[in-house]
Amino acid sequence: MSDREQYTPGPASGAEVRKDGEKWTLILIRELRHSPEKVWQALIDPAQLREWAPFVVDGSLGTVGTTVNLTWVGTPTPLETRVTRADAPKLLEYADIRWELEASGKGTRLTLSTKLDRRFISMGAAGWHISFDVLDRLLGGTPITRDEAMEAGWQRLNVEYAQQFGIKAPNWQLKNK
Amino acid sequence: MKIKVTSLYVDDQDKALRFYTEVLGFAKKSDFSNGPFRWLTVASPEEPDGTELQLALNNNPAAKAYQQAIFQQSQPAAMFFTDDVKGDYERIKARGAEFTMPPTDVTASTIAMLNDTCGNLIQLTQLAHY
Repeated sequence: MSDREQYTPGPASGAEVRKDGEKWTLILIRELRHSPEKVWQALIDPAQLREWAPFVVDGSLGTVGTTVNLTWVGTPTPLETRVTRADAPKLLEYADIRWELEASGKGTRLTLSTKLDRRFISMGAAGWHISFDVLDRLLGGTPITRDEAMEAGWQRLNVEYAQQFGIKAPNWQLKNK
Repeated sequence: MKIKVTSLYVDDQDKALRFYTEVLGFAKKSDFSNGPFRWLTVASPEEPDGTELQLALNNNPAAKAYQQAIFQQSQPAAMFFTDDVKGDYERIKARGAEFTMPPTDVTASTIAMLNDTCGNLIQLTQLAHY
């Protein structure tokens, strides 16, 4: 419990956007303290994805050409999603999502590229930022739930990323306890 | 007098909060509990100090009957305004939400209807002169 109470996401960082029409590409880079092999498993294994990612899948994402049902948090309808690249433990691609893993010291430099509607790019960055925190703790053996982590700072990160990307930031007057 | 908050009955407040924030893009504004009662509201990032939407737990049999009846009549329980109904439709549908009506031109506006997964239909409206 004390870990959960102490969790506060760090400042918005490691993100870049490529602006092209209505759909922008969000690139998020995170250094994780775990090996590429361990991170790779967390990217493809349905049981681990359920804990940290903003979606659930009903099968492994680890084999190119397979199709899984992918359900985003909060939505009722699974989306048929085909794995288009799966080069363990380096490159994984499905839908609009591309993951690159590079060994970095004893850990992994994880790069996410994903396409998002420009109006929701800061929301997406904030959501993935928090998912990465949850992933890091899951792999480190001190898990927190994604719902709790979202509570702890998604709105603040949304504002910070909006400012970094040079888009209109929501001006939250937070009243949460 | 001001209209500061409007209420919507939902069958599960945690599920509703995820849908209204992560799928629709609103953000939580208030969340206070008093025993079994939970006052939960969201607001739009485009209008953070605008009207709040209360996500109220529907544990009242009379309200449940009313909610189910208007749902079955395809009547929206709430209506949100947007300046890009097509864009919202594409984005929300791409996430896997269920629309019961795609963007459709009607008198002076374009509307779409979606299922909020919590017992309600929600209408999105874009006025023609927006």
